[in-house]
Amino acid sequence: MASFERASPALKEILLRIYRAEKPIEVDHHLYEFGSVEYHIKSSASAPQLTYLSISTPLLTQGVLLSYGLSPYTTQMVREISTDVLEIVEPATEGYQLTLRLDFSKIPRGKDSLKVITEVSSVQSIILSSQLKEMLQSVNSWDASQGMYKPIKLVYHPREPFYVIRQPHKIVAVFPMRFKDYSDVIIATSFFQELMDVGSSEKWAKAPPCNWSPIPPAELRGEPLEDLSTNGGFVSFDISSRHVEGKRLDKTVWSLLNFYAYVKHHVKCTRGFIQRRMRRRLESLVEVLQNSSLEDDRHIRKFQENAGWQYMKKLVKLSSKSKILKRSCRDFTRKIMRIRFRIKIHGFGRFRRRWLTMLKFSSSKGYTKLE
Amino acid sequence: MANTLRLYLTCIRNTLEAAMCLQNFPCQEVERHNKPEVELKTSPELLLNPVLICRNEAEKCLIETSINSLRISLKVKQADELENILTKKFLRFLSMRAEAFQVLRRKPVQGYDISFLITNYHCEEMQKQKLIDFIVQFMEDIDKEISELKMSVNTRGRLVATEFLKQFI
Repeated sequence: MASFERASPALKEILLRIYRAEKPIEVDHHLYEFGSVEYHIKSSASAPQLTYLSISTPLLTQGVLLSYGLSPYTTQMVREISTDVLEIVEPATEGYQLTLRLDFSKIPRGKDSLKVITEVSSVQSIILSSQLKEMLQSVNSWDASQGMYKPIKLVYHPREPFYVIRQPHKIVAVFPMRFKDYSDVIIATSFFQELMDVGSSEKWAKAPPCNWSPIPPAELRGEPLEDLSTNGGFVSFDISSRHVEGKRLDKTVWSLLNFYAYVKHHVKCTRGFIQRRMRRRLESLVEVLQNSSLEDDRHIRKFQENAGWQYMKKLVKLSSKSKILKRSCRDFTRKIMRIRFRIKIHGFGRFRRRWLTMLKFSSSKGYTKLE
Repeated sequence: MANTLRLYLTCIRNTLEAAMCLQNFPCQEVERHNKPEVELKTSPELLLNPVLICRNEAEKCLIETSINSLRISLKVKQADELENILTKKFLRFLSMRAEAFQVLRRKPVQGYDISFLITNYHCEEMQKQKLIDFIVQFMEDIDKEISELKMSVNTRGRLVATEFLKQFI
């Protein structure tokens, strides 16, 4: 099964440990990943520079390739990881599809060593993606005389197959979506609708057109019912020649292989987001109720004072630095003006208070006394 | 739209002000027991007529009163499936933490999304007006929160979709 990271972290760690070991060590590791991928790493002290790595992985199309092993294109892609360091051993170890001999003495020193070991650790993703690349590369070489477009079922996880259907000038990848929880279905459905909306906009015209439907598309008629029974509908991508040119082929293949994982990850993150938000809201709702307690006026007043003080604190924090600076400049200029322009006349204050105050016409007693 | 909400909330507020006249009343059937009569409904003479206030078909509020307790059940509007699951999740989340709210019922009345149970003891500990303010504020906050949650989920979906499609370009 493909995951977001191409290199297997556990395999990378073991290979790095063997590479960096100061003295020769005996290694015989069996490593299992995703329930169906198996690695066997073997290194002996007598030949410390050589390490044997065997891989067993479920292939995308099981029916055809098992009898013939890996296709020449796949073996070529594996060799291209590093022609100096890596050599394919024929025949492979029993129970495995591929055995590689790694010569650590040929790995360049310094930072490049990490890069090479990372690429070697991503051999499983290279095997998976090379199979899909082979299919997608033949977008333009479709022969019309071949008749009906039979969908090719690709299985990289037993419960998550997807289909690739060859059509003139394009290949359609169809993903039947299944979720355990009803709320996951709803969150994923809203995501698929956003995906369709975004994909249909002018800005994303170069991306492959995406379509979601709750019922199986017409191309999948005739497929077994158990593969077509879903609760999340069907998502399809139209891959044209533009999406498989040059470096884009690798990205397109990797995106398609990771689509399930991407959706599931998004659904999981959204659930976490909803949970966090609900917790925050709970605190604010409870605070309102706490205000209604009758216990002590003191407590209420104290809370209000604290609330007032906290409000002021928030206000002060919220004021941006530039505003504080402006305010202080304004106060300073006012002070300067007062100091420079204050004209003091002795006795004027008394004169102003006696003769220049406004007379009160209303009586403090509330009525006018008649003489 | 805002007008109808105001009228709806005002009607609920006025009804609660009239209904929240609770007093201590020991259980008539079991001595030394004091139970909220609105929950038991064993003595019809202690119960008042329930009041159902409907804003529309989807939103309504049921206020059941008795001599020593008051039950308020709310049905929140759910326009689509996403709002439906968000409302269910959020109100279930709150109901599971009912002890923080004191007046909240752990399980809503059948046919409603959330229920409150206010007893005479709550009225003694808390101010009546503030309790009513809390209920009305709660209703507004729930609506607002569900709308914001829905918008956030859709915005997140859009951002994630954009990031996914970027890989093809």
